Amino acid sequence: MSEAVKVVDDVAFEDLLANPYPVFKRVRDLGPVVKVEAANIMMVTRFDDVMAIERDPETFSSVNPQSLLNTVIGPNLMRKDGEDHARERAAIDPSLRPGVVKRCWADPMRAICDDVISQIEHKGEAELFEELAAPIAARALADILGFDGVDWRTMALWSQSLIDGSGNYSHNPEIARKAKEAASGVESAVDRMLSHHRDDPNPSMLSSMLQADPAQTVEQIYANIKVAIGGGLNETRDSILTLILGLLQNPDQFARVLAEPSLWGQAFEEAVRWISPIGMYPRRLTRDTEISGTLVRKGEQVGLCVGAANHDDRRFNDPEKFDLFREKKSHLAFGAGSHFCAGTWVSRALVSQIAVPMVFERLRNLRLRDPRLVRIRGWVFRGPTHMPVVWDA
Amino acid sequence: MPKIKFLLADGAELTVEAQNGRTLMETALENSVPGIIAECNGSAACATCHVVLPEEIMSALGPISEHENDMLDFAEASRESGSRLSCQIKVSDAMDNVSVRVPAA
Ligand code: HEM
Repeated sequence: MSEAVKVVDDVAFEDLLANPYPVFKRVRDLGPVVKVEAANIMMVTRFDDVMAIERDPETFSSVNPQSLLNTVIGPNLMRKDGEDHARERAAIDPSLRPGVVKRCWADPMRAICDDVISQIEHKGEAELFEELAAPIAARALADILGFDGVDWRTMALWSQSLIDGSGNYSHNPEIARKAKEAASGVESAVDRMLSHHRDDPNPSMLSSMLQADPAQTVEQIYANIKVAIGGGLNETRDSILTLILGLLQNPDQFARVLAEPSLWGQAFEEAVRWISPIGMYPRRLTRDTEISGTLVRKGEQVGLCVGAANHDDRRFNDPEKFDLFREKKSHLAFGAGSHFCAGTWVSRALVSQIAVPMVFERLRNLRLRDPRLVRIRGWVFRGPTHMPVVWDA
Repeated sequence: MPKIKFLLADGAELTVEAQNGRTLMETALENSVPGIIAECNGSAACATCHVVLPEEIMSALGPISEHENDMLDFAEASRESGSRLSCQIKVSDAMDNVSVRVPAA
């Protein structure tokens, strides 16, 4: 006999935003699939279940033409499967592969980090979200997309507006208007830059899509550039701050990383496991099926809570602790399956090899101004939103 | 059905029956071969299904794509001359009795 989906109706939406992990734990222990009323979604929270779902895209589809994401940004690769997805993915991968990141993007990303840090270095204090992580993430992304000359605040505004629009389930007209404005802003920027990237092929994502075989249509380019803007800025920004926070709060681990720089990669993976920048993404059922014994019906949507899976104590000991020396196991912060994050290698290089090591090298004796001032927020997207620090200038 | 021998990182060996047309990565997952994680489930995006094949089979497998070639340089265990991503290799009779090494990460 299969079980029915259990329901949690005494959690407030604000509880999730403030700290989803206690909710995740409760839901994980309650059952494999649990409807959380406040979020209006059926959550899958156990590591093994999420992994199994990602290995069965025919049952758990990403295709969802009616989704808000498609309405806001147009039909895009995140909401396609099979060959349609593979073709669009292949059109962007040439600019995001690890070797290309190393050969083409490492130097410009280093220059961006150097510039951003140079602007604050002399001050001895800063709020790292606004003055460091956001500009680094936005400027690096603009370079990789081929959006030369678009300033970082515009990138950040577009990104946030597209994200808010994709999550605008209450149909707030102001959010919808801003999302529309961002979408047309991105489209005009693409229009302005198309001929440059066509005439002068280069490793940027825009150029890569133009060189692809079959060539991508302008609609595909608009949509997938918007996916990258909505999905490639916050996560890098948030993981820069999370990695800095994890190390500042754990001086013993920090000392070992400084002594042994090859540990930076491991520290980054632990940071995104610890506070995963993307906490949840959806899949839609193409047939009735059981998830570890719980029946879910065709047409329904489940939220794969990778933030919860990354804290599953069936897999990770003391999951709420930042411990870069924990037993080595793969995590789900970059998702899994065919939609496995296309920007994984960019983020690994930017955050763990360039930005954060440079921060600690240049901002001597960096420390939190006051641990009580640090704010961390969100559940679908989560990260530090406010992090004042001081250093010896 | 070809038989494939996985040489594991800890020195153990695991011989499994494989099905023609499945990928080597799928064969490894279906038989719970340790060390083959395959996060991206066969999209050549994660480099966590790295294996090392004997020289003699490499030529029978055809050329490595540019994408796989790039990924292999960044797999956790260092690349060797017989390195491939197991998700990009289809099992065939030519692979009968082949030894596939899972390199230590
Ligand atoms: C620490 C940083 C990052 C994290 C944690 C992250 C996380 C994720 C996750 C969980 C997904 C899967 C979503 C789903 O399956 O619905 C995803 C997809 C994606 N990410 Fe990232 N991301 C990061 C950085 C980036 C960057 C820098 C870029 C662009 C340069 C990027 C581009 C994409 C794209 C294009 C997809 C869609 C892939 C597809 O559908 O095939 N990401 N990311």
